[in-house]
This record gives sequence, C-alpha cells and structure tokens, in this order.
Amino acid sequence: MRHERSLFARLARRISLVLGVGAALLVTAAWYYAETAANKAYDRLLVGAALQMAESLSVEDGILTARLPTSAFELLGLAERDRIFYRVIDTNGQTLTGYDDLQSPTPLDDVDNVPRVEEGIYKGEPVRIASATRVLADPAVSGEAYVIVAQTNEARSALTRELTLRATGLVFIMSLLAFAGAMLAIRYALQPVERLGAAVHRRDPHDLTPVSVDVPRELDPFVGSINHFMGRLNERVDLLQRFIADAAHQIRTPLTALSAQIDLLGADKLDKAGRQHYERVRERTGELARLTNQLLSHAMVIHRADSVQLEPISLVDVARRAYRAAIPITVDPDIVISFEAPDDRPFVLGDAVSLREAIVNVIDNALRHGAQHRLEVRVGASDTEAFVEVVDDGPGIPPEGWEKATQRFATSKSHEGSSGLGFAIALEVANAHGGTLSFRARDEKGFTVILTLPLYTGVVK
Amino acid sequence: MIVFSPRWILGLVFAFIFMASALAAEDNKTVFPAIESETGRLTIYSTTDLAAMKPLIEDFQKSSPGIAIDYLEYLTNELNSLASEACRKGEPLGDLLLSSSVDQLLKLANDGCAASHTSPETARVAGWANWRDEVFGFTYEPAVFVYNSRLVPPAEVPRTHVELADLLRERLDYYRGRVGTYDIRLSGIGYLLAFNDARQTNTVFGRLLESMARASAVARCCTGEIIEEVAKGNLYIGYNMLGSYAYEAALRHPHLRIVVPRDYTLVLSRGALIPRGAKEADLGALFLDYLLSERGQSVARSSAFYFTETGGLPPDVDGPQNLKESGIAQPIRIGPALLAVQDRAQRQRFIEDWSQSLIELNSPAWTRE
Repeated sequence: MRHERSLFARLARRISLVLGVGAALLVTAAWYYAETAANKAYDRLLVGAALQMAESLSVEDGILTARLPTSAFELLGLAERDRIFYRVIDTNGQTLTGYDDLQSPTPLDDVDNVPRVEEGIYKGEPVRIASATRVLADPAVSGEAYVIVAQTNEARSALTRELTLRATGLVFIMSLLAFAGAMLAIRYALQPVERLGAAVHRRDPHDLTPVSVDVPRELDPFVGSINHFMGRLNERVDLLQRFIADAAHQIRTPLTALSAQIDLLGADKLDKAGRQHYERVRERTGELARLTNQLLSHAMVIHRADSVQLEPISLVDVARRAYRAAIPITVDPDIVISFEAPDDRPFVLGDAVSLREAIVNVIDNALRHGAQHRLEVRVGASDTEAFVEVVDDGPGIPPEGWEKATQRFATSKSHEGSSGLGFAIALEVANAHGGTLSFRARDEKGFTVILTLPLYTGVVK
Repeated sequence: MIVFSPRWILGLVFAFIFMASALAAEDNKTVFPAIESETGRLTIYSTTDLAAMKPLIEDFQKSSPGIAIDYLEYLTNELNSLASEACRKGEPLGDLLLSSSVDQLLKLANDGCAASHTSPETARVAGWANWRDEVFGFTYEPAVFVYNSRLVPPAEVPRTHVELADLLRERLDYYRGRVGTYDIRLSGIGYLLAFNDARQTNTVFGRLLESMARASAVARCCTGEIIEEVAKGNLYIGYNMLGSYAYEAALRHPHLRIVVPRDYTLVLSRGALIPRGAKEADLGALFLDYLLSERGQSVARSSAFYFTETGGLPPDVDGPQNLKESGIAQPIRIGPALLAVQDRAQRQRFIEDWSQSLIELNSPAWTRE
C-alpha cells in the first residue's frame, strides 16, 4: 500500500498555496494602489505648479511676460530630490522661458483648458509632464499660451516603495496569522478522527459491539460503516460458535455410544499387543469426549457472557459446587485435597454457571497436569476483590509460558491429553466478569492459579 | 536717460565674460604642487578668492600629501557659462566646482550636470544646504553692511535695512555716490542676494533700492572691489557684502566695520558640486568631504570664512550674539526655489527693473577720475 500524505499535510499545503497566491495578489494590488496614490499626490503638486506658472503670465507694455513665482518651484520642491523642467510657450508658439526642448507628449492644441498629467521622457529620465493653458485676451497679445512642467519620478517611486513595503508587511503578517489559525483549526478538526482511531484501536478483540464514540456529523458514515461491518462480523462469529456448539453436541451422542462400545469390547480377549491398542483407543476416546465437553462448555460460556444478566452470588458457594463437580470419585487416594473458605462469604456480581465452569476447568487442569500429592482450593477476599486460588504441588508452568497457557489449544503437554481449552474458558469468564486470571510462580506451597473478581459491595437480598 | 534693453545688457554681460575669461586665462590659475610624490591631480573651478581658499587647500594637502591641486578662479557668471557649456558638450569642467552663486550650481544639477556623492561628512550637512546629494553648501556667510568708521559717524551707523534706506534719504548729499553694492548684471551672487532681498520684503527692498538710486549708489562686480573702496574712503558704506570677505578686509583695515543687519540677514552658503563624469571625481569628493569635515570647518572658521552656522559672530562685528539663535538669519535654501531665481525671463526682468532704478542715476564724480 502506498503511504498517502496525512490529511494535515494536504490541507496545510493547499491552504499555504491559497494564502501565497492571495498574498501575491494583494501585494500586487497594494503596489498598484500605492503607485496610483503616489502619482495622484505628486500630480497635484505638478498641476498646481503649472497653474501657478500659467497664472503668472501677464501682458506688460504689450509684451507677454512671465514672472515665474518662487512658490511654484517650492511646491515642486516638496518632492525633495526631484529635478524640475519647465517651459513657457507664448501665443506664437515660441519659447518664452525655460527648457526649449521640453515637449508635451500630446499636442498642446488639444488641451481643453483642463490641466493634464502624462508620462514622458526628458533628458533621458522618465518624467511626469503637466501642461496648463492660459487664454489671453489682450488687444496686443491674444491667443493661448502654454506652460509645460515636468518632474522626475524619485519621490513618487520612493512613496510607492514605502507604501508597498508597508502593505507587504501587513499582508505578510496577516498571511502568517491566517496560516497559523488554519493549522490550529485543522488540528482541532482532525482530533475526532484520531479519537475514533484510538477508540477502535483500544477495543478488545472480542468486543464486536457497535463503536460508541462522539464524532462530528462528517464522520458518521465512517462510524456507521465500521459498526455495520462489526455487526456482520458479529453475526458470522455467532454463527460459527453456534456451529461449533452444534457440532460438539452432535458429536457427543455417537461418542458416548463409541465409549460404551469400547467398554463392551473388553480387553481380556485380546493378546498383549491388542490390549495395548485397546487401551490407547480408550484413552483417545476419553480425550475426545473431554474436548467435546470443553467445546460445549466454551460455547456456553461465551453465549452466557453475551446474554445472561449478572447477579450477586456467593463465590464460596460457586467454588464449592465447582470443587465437588471437578473432583471425580475415582480420584487418586494418594492426593490430599482440601477446600478453604472464609466465613464471611465474599459476594461477586456474576453468572454462577459460567463461574462454576471456569473454576471446574482450573481445578481439572490442576488435577490432570499438576497435583502429585496435594491440591488446595482457597476462596478469599481483599478490600476490593474476591479470589479463588487453586494450588498444587506439581511442576507448574514457567513464567514465560503463562501468556501462552491461556490461549486456546496451546499447551506444551498435548501428549498428555490436554485439550488446551481449560484456561481459555477460565480467562473468558474472568474477562466477562471484569476480573483476571493470573498465576503465581512455584514456591514452597506449590504452583498457584488465581481467578480474581471484583468484590460486590452492594446489599445482598 | 539711457534705456537698457535686455538684449543690450545680455550682450554686455557676455562681452564682459568673454573678455574676462580671455584675459584671465593666464593668471587665474594657481597650482598647488603635491607635498610628496604626486598621486593625483585635482582641478577645482571656483569663484572664491584664492586668499580665502588657500588655508583650506594647504591644510587639505597636509592630510593628503600626494595630491596636487590646480585652482582656477572665475567670476560667478563666467564659471556658470563655462560649466553649462562643458556639460552640454559632455566634457566635464574640472573635478569640483565651488561657487557662491548656488542658484547657478542648482541649475547645473537640475540639468543633470552633477554627480551625487554621499559620505559620513555629507550626512552632517543641514537639509537646507544639500540638494539631491549633488549640491552642498559648505559655508555660512551672512550678507552684511560694511562702513568706514572714519567717515560714517557712530550715530548714523545703520543697523537694519530700513535704517539704511532712511539714512540715505536723510543725508542724501553726504552719501551721494558713496554707497556701493553688487552690480547684479555682472555678479551672480549680487543677483541672488538682490532677488532674495526682494522676496524677503518687497517694500523695504523697493525703498532701499530707491534710496540707493537717489544716492547714486555705485555698482561693482565684486565684493572685494567695493570693500577696498570703502577702506580707502572713496565709498562710505557697502551694502550686501559677503561677511567672509568683509571680515577678512576688516582684519587688515581696522577702521572698516561690519554690521550684521538686525531686521533680517540673508545667509548664503557657498556651494560645491562634482561635475558628472569628472575625471578625478574621487579627488573632488575627497576635497568636498574635507570642506564639510570638522577639520575643514574649523580651518574655515579660523582663517577662511570666519562665520559659522553654530558658533557666535566673530569679534568686533556689530550684530546679534548668535545669528542662528537670534532668528534673524534667513539662509538661502539650496533647493528648487532657486530655479525660479535662475529663470532667464525672471532674471532678465529683474535685472532690467534693477538697472532702471539704479544704474542710470549713477555716475559719481570720483569714478571719473
């Protein structure tokens, strides 16, 4: 499976792309506006100066005279570093004063009394050029005189730069804030996904009930799918278990018949080799019968865990009943068997049938594989827990085998006829009751298997 | 009455310039050889008297001993026409231009004839004395009244422009032909000062001009000439003299006195400009930095221009303690407003008006001797 980039990385990439493009657009717009603003501001000075100069034209003694006001130049001087060029053209089109070669980009005749400002080049420098018209109606001098004023662009460029730079700074800060905000928002928005993942991950493998985590509406289909899938899986597992139970049940009848037939066969009519085979067939049939019983018992335990209402019961009663059921009448008389229970019966919330089955299996296991001379069953309680301990003086299970021992059909002693389901059933029951199945390593007393259950503290009827 | 047409005056001006430059070509050049082996040769075109610049140049050579300096001296208008002609042809004139006529330098810079220069020294220049980092003012020179104390009685010493106008009116016979000022047709600086006088107070200037015309004021090309005449006693009062020259002369002639007018005082800053494309622009910049530096300014204060923007007036000068703090100083700002001063129509018209008021009335007896 190719590893897809995380949702976070994808969103971050797309958002930063959008923000980047947006910032670039904004900066471009800011530059455009800054240039327009700078041009407007300085064009006003330029037009003002041109108008002042045009106003200064007068006819003295029949001659057109220009007394260019210093204030016009001071006005232009507000753009401190800019060079100033001007030209005054009289009514005959002759230069009255100023720079002879300064030209207006468009013919002056077109000027309709409104001062204009245009781009141009003068003395190899880009300039803004304003022109103003003065209409003279003196008897001696009549017609239109023009004033052309040009100014270099340093102050405009500087202002444009400064405005753009500031706007860029703001856009940059805003973009950073937006990005940081978006990242936080994405993290927050993705949290339910992680929570759902964690909840599914944390789940017990046997738990096939619907997932119940609060998720945003957008994740509902996803959770729905998970739950739908779990439901179907659950049905299949149920079917499978029922099938196993049915199969075990079906096998039991012919098996019983088989056992009876083997007993009837009798060993005495056989020779030595035949007797050996006969014994082996009998043992294997016994194992088969026990396995079938355990399978049934396992299926029953699981079924009850799902369906039976737990109620307060005395653990001592249950343990004693299990003890009686587990110890066969034909038990080896060499083994000392004991049962200890406190007077104040610890109560637990549980299903008596399942618990009895669990304890029977533990005792049976101890009898079958452990106890040589001694087997003790003890019931006890601490402040919060009640427990059943089964101690035997057998070799026990080394600590590294403990985990494996509780798995189904996993045992190191299959040659001795173990089905390997005993501890699995006990563990199943313990888990269904919120308890545990644990071991205590071999000491002077022997090897101990402990079934611990939460103590019931409510009032017993 | 002779009528001065603009063309006539222009012709006169150019004729004079041509003559002056032809005559001056030989003796206006002073060479300051390098103290040690020569590593560079700096050419300065200047309107400043050699006497004033000499201490500065010599002190500069102490710090840069490998630099030889050719110092060429011109009148302001001559220098301007030479420089603008050179700029038009694209052959820069020298490596540094120094002119008291800052309006002409500003026009040159506006026409793109100047190279810009920035350094820690130029950063110290006041805003009003720096345009585009191309034209720098490196002195602070008030336009003052000069009088001969032997001929002007203490009670009559004028201390404002109005007092001067009134004095000439009241004692017309005594001062007839005895007041000297710039001939603004010849002197760029005279024109600049007169123009700014007119801007400053049109009425007072008009009155003063009228009084001077009635008193047959004498117009001369240069500060030096008028001051010498005042020292000699041919003239009694000199108007709008550059403080630096006046003070230098007063040191030599104890009876020569200086008044810094108390109503307003025009302050001129001599300008410096590095022509665009100058061969030794680096040396020009080096010398300019020297002029603007603490050291250059202190040499200028002690032995070249005497007046400074920050310090007090030099001793024995009649005027407020500190020009700048007194608020009467009106520095001529080095900025685009000077373009209006340089406008040719403006100039022509102004000089015409001035000439009409002053020159035609003017032919004192002693000048004919």
